[in-house]
Formats: sequence, structure tokens, C-alpha cells
Amino acid sequence: MIKTLQKSTWVYLFTGLMLVLLPFFKDERWFLFLMIQIFVFGIFAMSYDLLLGYTGIVSFGHAMFFGVGAYSVAITLDRFEPSFMSLLLGIVIAMAVGGLIAFIAGILTLRLKSHYYAMLTLALANLFLVLAEKWRSLTKGNDGFTFQIPELPGGLEDHRNMVIYLFCLVSMVVIFFGLKRLTESPLGKILVAIRENEQRVVSLGYKIMPYKVIISVISGVVASFAGVLYAISIRFVDTSVFAIDMTLDALLMTIIGGVGTLVGPIIGAGIIEFAHHYLSELSDVHWIFERWIILFGILYILVVIFFPSGIVGTINHKLATRKQRKKEDEQSDKLAS
Amino acid sequence: MTNTLLKLEQINTYIDQFHILQNVNFEVKSGEVTVLLGRNGAGKTTTLRSIMGLNSALSGQIVYKDEDITKLPAYKIAKKGIGYVPEDQGIFYDLTVGENMRVGMRQEDEATKDRMEWVLELFPDLKKFWKKPGGQLSGGQKQMLSIARSYVNDNDLLLIDEPSKGLAPVIVEKVIESIEKMKEKTTVVLVEQNFYMASRLGDSFFILDDGMTVHQGDMKELRENEELKRKYLGIA
Amino acid sequence: MDLFINLAINGIATGMLIFLIACGLTLIFGLMDVLNFAHGGIFAWGAFVGVWGYSVTQNFLISIVLAVIAGLLIGLITEYLIIRPVYGNHIQQILITLGFMLVLSEFIKVVFGPNILAAQKPPFLQDYWLVGDVTIIKYRAFTIVVGFIIFVAIMAVLKYTKIGLIVRAGVMDKEMIQALGVNIRLVFIGVFMVGSALAALGGALFAPSSGVAYAEMGMEFGIFAFIVVIIGGMGSVPGSLIAALLVGLSNVFMAYYVPSLAMAVTMILMFLVLIFRPEGLFKVSGVSNK
Ligand SMILES: Nc1ncnc2c1ncn2[C@@H]1O[C@H](COP(=O)(O)OP(=O)(O)O)[C@@H](O)[C@H]1O
Ligand SMILES: [Mg+2]
Repeated sequence: MIKTLQKSTWVYLFTGLMLVLLPFFKDERWFLFLMIQIFVFGIFAMSYDLLLGYTGIVSFGHAMFFGVGAYSVAITLDRFEPSFMSLLLGIVIAMAVGGLIAFIAGILTLRLKSHYYAMLTLALANLFLVLAEKWRSLTKGNDGFTFQIPELPGGLEDHRNMVIYLFCLVSMVVIFFGLKRLTESPLGKILVAIRENEQRVVSLGYKIMPYKVIISVISGVVASFAGVLYAISIRFVDTSVFAIDMTLDALLMTIIGGVGTLVGPIIGAGIIEFAHHYLSELSDVHWIFERWIILFGILYILVVIFFPSGIVGTINHKLATRKQRKKEDEQSDKLAS
Repeated sequence: MTNTLLKLEQINTYIDQFHILQNVNFEVKSGEVTVLLGRNGAGKTTTLRSIMGLNSALSGQIVYKDEDITKLPAYKIAKKGIGYVPEDQGIFYDLTVGENMRVGMRQEDEATKDRMEWVLELFPDLKKFWKKPGGQLSGGQKQMLSIARSYVNDNDLLLIDEPSKGLAPVIVEKVIESIEKMKEKTTVVLVEQNFYMASRLGDSFFILDDGMTVHQGDMKELRENEELKRKYLGIA
Repeated sequence: MDLFINLAINGIATGMLIFLIACGLTLIFGLMDVLNFAHGGIFAWGAFVGVWGYSVTQNFLISIVLAVIAGLLIGLITEYLIIRPVYGNHIQQILITLGFMLVLSEFIKVVFGPNILAAQKPPFLQDYWLVGDVTIIKYRAFTIVVGFIIFVAIMAVLKYTKIGLIVRAGVMDKEMIQALGVNIRLVFIGVFMVGSALAALGGALFAPSSGVAYAEMGMEFGIFAFIVVIIGGMGSVPGSLIAALLVGLSNVFMAYYVPSLAMAVTMILMFLVLIFRPEGLFKVSGVSNK
């Protein structure tokens, strides 16, 4: 078990290293930007899967954390001078507000049926969207605003996109391993047990509310951080960060990549972002590609019905059964000889 | 045997992953009251639910009137003329007594109306509470409503689950009387812990223990067999 | 006073439209334990079919009928293809119905084009009455009357007909109603179709009153409907009427006096309910929120 864990860790680290080297070979703007989007949404989708895949909580308002993160850092950098101190302050505010919202939503609804959290977060996210539209003095309404990010020291300023690329990549890798630790900890085990059979966990004498609230807060904080990265990477923010589409993206990525894993959401993010990029280009060929979201919606529905564990889950399952069969074969061979 | 109305052969039923009924055999003859006995958790309720299609058996056969009903959905089984009085009475709390009766009618024809009148003579209390929500009835009233609801249809078989549970002796007496009257019209499977009631009504009995049929015979035989009573029913 | 009455009428009219979506939602939830996140999408379809039907036939009644038929059909499709495979699994239900919502909204753009459609009121409902010094916009009065008739009709069906009793009984105890010989699946499909048709009717009535139909209105009003269902109590039709009127009125009044807080007041209502009375204003026995 430990051996296989280490093996997978090596694979992840190696992949990470390759990604570090990637921009030195292919540094076109659009490509870097696409990869940054994948990292940002990979983080966002991981935070989503922490709820959905690991705890069985459905959030339909995850965009609000993303949006709160984006606006917090944008507003702080806009209002104060664009220094690293302001950036740090923005990040802290983003994560604190994100965590607080998640805490409130959690204590209000996590003791009720799963519908309630979904509905409450959906409604809350809508509230934030309206707030961002109406509070023009702070957000400049629907138009949004651009802002400056801190100037990088020395020659790095010339390679700004590369630095942002690396910063987002490193953030994703660190968060990935952090969440991996978390899900493999006793807390993570209890969460999975809650997802599998809530009644049983209760009868074992655990109070499940605190666990659910904790995970909801962690997820909110991570999602806010993804929003921070998003805003920094495009140096612009508008109300679209609060739109339901953001949540749907995270949902698609998680479901298609694979619920209940952390690689799944990242892979899902890659698939969706690339598909988005290339399918939009195909819209000259046939109009259906302009409505590519329909294709994904249908794909998503089919995945929910037929492959509820997504790409990674299904592959894992196949591997596991194959391993099992191999083992059995070996054993029967042994018995035969 | 022509007068077998219902027969369970080697029934196996699961609740989630738990194997609750293990090769249960059980037979009901037309016109009789068959009592199903056994201590708490023996699987009596599950047996009735398997017959009713609410918890279908995974293997084995349930034959009713020479027809295999094992895998039929509950509503089809009910339509074949089987009435069910569940352990928790299955009263719809927000519906009035009258509405509970009406929702239970499979038809609203003359014959049903006649039976309704007959039932209301049997349980005059129900008429008094006609407009009261089911949730506000006392335990005994709920039991009577549930039984009355099963009498209103033209059923050939009634499955009644522990009707005496939690009731005052006077009311138990009423319930017994009503079942005695019903006995003339239909066949009854009665799950009962109350041995007094079981022995007054029963013609034959089956004893379940740990999800298995362990004994069967004539009620007369059980009345005299102290050992059986002590072993499976905890009656000294 | 004039203003107050005007706002009140407007609020009640809005509330009635929300009620039309919410009552289907609440029944579907109570009976089938399914929260249909695609329900708002059917509202949007109703609006588009209604607008399209009116532009083609120039007959308001026919356009409404077309919208209702569309609602029935989409309801049937939703139940068959989307809900049926995932009965009993809440998480899957929530996920799949939201995905279907996405597909429904996008399909509107495919069928009717990506642009906002302008919607017209029929001539006989275009102007207003003057009662003393109060102006009553005809179309709003019409909406209120229709909503009220629908409410009374639903309540009468639920109270006095056998099928209504079966639906109510099914909400409380699905198992027992089957043991009494009722094929609850058929009842499910029926309720699902009727609920969807009501949402479509709501959409078809909404578009002329706001003057437009746009694909995103499904999500927008879907959210209102969810809130209303929570406030009113899951499974309760009178509850959703009261809550819908509450939400409609508070929205219209706030939108007039403190526009930026209009959405917030609805949310505050929901928060209060969730904190102090999570089962909603009207509790239906047998429906649990845990
Ligand atoms: N939902 C359930 N999950 C697991 N076990 C159950 C469930 N319901 C009943 N059982 C078990 O099935 C057995 C039989 O129950 P039941 O048929 O209700 O017994 P009886 O009616 O004879 O008291 C009992 O051991 C009980 O613990
Ligand atoms: Mg029992």
C-alpha cells in the first residue's frame, strides 16, 4: 500500500516537473493563458470535489467563493497601491470572507437534506451576483474593472506571464498535496464514511455536523484562493465570476474527471478548458460547436447516469478489478502447481 | 390441495445486505385464520412485507391462488385482493378518517358502499371522528381505522400485523370481535405476540425464529404444548 | 395610497407567477422526494413557446395552450429520461437535474435563437382600468385571477377528488398507498407532467408582462421558486402560495423603495425560516427535511 502510494506521488511530482519545464518550450501567450486557466480551475474543481466527492455535499453556489476571492484581491489592489503587501492582504481577506460564508451556509443547512445546501448556496451566489452588479462604488457594476498587480523585481517583469504560470502551477501542486494529506487523514476517512453511510457514522457516536462544516469551510477557502489566482491572471474582474456558469464549470470538471479523487478534477479542468478552446474555434464549421455547452451538458448527464465515478474513478475501478483478477489467477496457478 | 390460498416456498428476503428471511415456508388455507408467531425480530413483519411486495423476496416462490406473485409490485398484489394492516397502521396523518377510508377503496361501487356501511356498524367510533385528521386519533382508533380500511375492499386475504400492540384490553377485545366477524368472509394471516388473542382467533399457526420457520401446526396443539410456548414465545 | 395599491397589485401578480412554478416543484418534491433543478428551465420554455405561438397565431389563448402542451411534454421527457434512472439517490438527482437545466436553457437558444425575444400582450389586456384614482393594469389583474383560479383548482382537486387524495396520501406514505392498490409510478408521472405544465404556464404568462423572454429567466425564477418552496414548506401547496405572495410583495416593494436590497430581503426571509423553522411555514407530515 505504502509502495503504491509512493509510486503515485512520484508520478505526480514528475508530471509537475514536466509542467514546470513546459513553458520553456512553448511560450505562446494563448497557450500559457490556457494552462493557467487549467491550474486555476483545477484548484477550483478540487475544492468542489472535496464537498461532492469526499463528503457527498452538493454546492450550487461555489461561484460565490470564487467571486469573493476575485473581487477581494482586485479591490484591495485597486484601492491601495499595487504592492505585495496589498496582494497578501487581498488574499487574506479573500480566504477569510470565503471561509466565513461557507461557515454560515454550512451551519444553516448541513443538518438538513442535501437539497438545502444546494439551494441555499445557489441562492446566496445569486445574491452576490446582484450585490456585485448593484454596489457600483465598489465593483463598478457589470462593466467590471482592470487593476494593476505588483511589479516584479528585476528582469522578471519581462516574463510576467511565465511567473504567473509558475505561481499558479506551484499553488495547484501544493494544494493538491495538502488536500491529499487531508483526505488521507482520519478526518478524511470520517468524511468518506459520512458519504457512504451517514446513519452508521452517527450510530458510532460521531457528531457529523462539525465535520461537514469544517470541510465546507476548507472548500470555501480553497475556492476563494482559486478566485484570487483567476483575477490576478487576467488582471480584470467583472460580475461573471459570480455567474452560475462558474459553478457549472466546476461541476462538469469534477463529474467528467472523476468524483472522489483529486486528480480527477484537474484532468476534468484540462479536458473542459481545451475543449472550450478548440470547440469554440470549430464554430465556423458547424453552429452546434458554438453551443458546445449542450454537448457537455448531455455528456455530463450520461456520465452521472452511467459512470457516476467519472473518468478517473472508472479507470481506478478497472485497474482494481484487473489487479484483483491477476491476484486470483496467480493464486489459482499456485494451487494448480 | 385445493384449499391452499397462499403458499410461501423457500423464501429468502434481504434488507440492504442483511439476509433477513432464510428459506421461510408458510402456508395459508382458505377460510382459516393462520397465526404467525415468533419473538421480536424473528422476521414476521418482513414475511408480510415480502408477501405484499413491499420487500420482495430475492429467491423462492410466493403463490397466491395458484399464481406466482413473488416479483409483482405491491399495487398489483393488492389488486389481487390482498389487504394489508401494517404494524404502524399506515394511517395518512393529514387525511381525515373519511379520506383515509376513501383513499383505501379500490372501487367506489355499490358493493363497496354496502361493505362500508357494514364496517361502520362494526366500528361506530369511526363515524364519530369522520372529519378528524388521522394523526389526531388515539392508538386504538388508528388501529380500528387501519383494520376498517382493509375490510372495505373485496379482499380474499388480509394480512394483519400485531393489531393488539400497545392497546388497552377493552380495545383488544373489540379488535378480536371484528376479526371474528371478518373471518366469516375472508382468510386472515395474523401476526400476534398476544397469545390470548392468537389462541382465540387462530386455526393454525407458524412459528418463525431468526428468519426461519421452526414450527407449524394446529392452534389446538400449541395451546397444549407448554414447551414450544416457552421456547419461542417466552410464555411460561 | 395610489402607489401603495399599485405596488401591492404588482407584488401579488409577481407572487402568483412564482407560485405557478413553485407549486409544481413542491408537489414533485413532496411526492417523489425529487428536487427538480430543471424546473425553472421548463418555465423558460413555456415563455418562449408562448411568445413564439403568439407571434405565429396572434391568438393569446392558443399560445397559452401551446406552452402548456410543451410543459406537459418536457415534463414527461424529464421524468422518463432524467429522473427515472436516479430514483432514491438524492445527490445524483440534484446533479442530473441541474445538468438538464443547462441543456434545456441552451436548447432554447438553439431552437429560438440566442437573442432575447420581445413579448406582446394581447390587445384586450393591453391597457388599464381607472378605479377612482387607482390605475389597475389589466394584465396584472389577469395574472392574479389566473393564479388564483389555478390555486383554487389545485386545492379542490387535492381535497375532493380521489386522485387528489391519492397524491396527498402518497406524499405522506408512498409505501402504504401502494399496498392499497395504487400504482404510484403513474401518479408520479402525472404529477410531474402537471407540475411542469404549470411552470410552463407561468412562463407563458410572465413573458408578456415583462415584455421579454430570455433563456436565463429559467434559472432566475427557478431560484425564486426554490426559496418559496423552502419558506412555504416542502410539499405544501398553500404554503407555496403564501410564500410566493410574500416573496413577490417584498420584492416589488423593496425594488421600489430600496432597489439594491430587493434580492436580499428574499434571502433574509429564507434565512429566518432556515434558522427558526427549517420545515417551512406549513409542515406536511411524512415529508422530512433531514
Ligand atoms: N431496515 C432494516 N435494516 C436492517 N435490519 C432490519 C431492518 N428492518 C428490520 N431488520 C431486521 O430484520 C429482522 C426481522 O425484523 P421484523 O420482520 O420486523 O421482525 P418481527 O416483525 O418479527 O419483530 C430483525 O432482526 C430486524 O433487526
Ligand atoms: Mg414486527
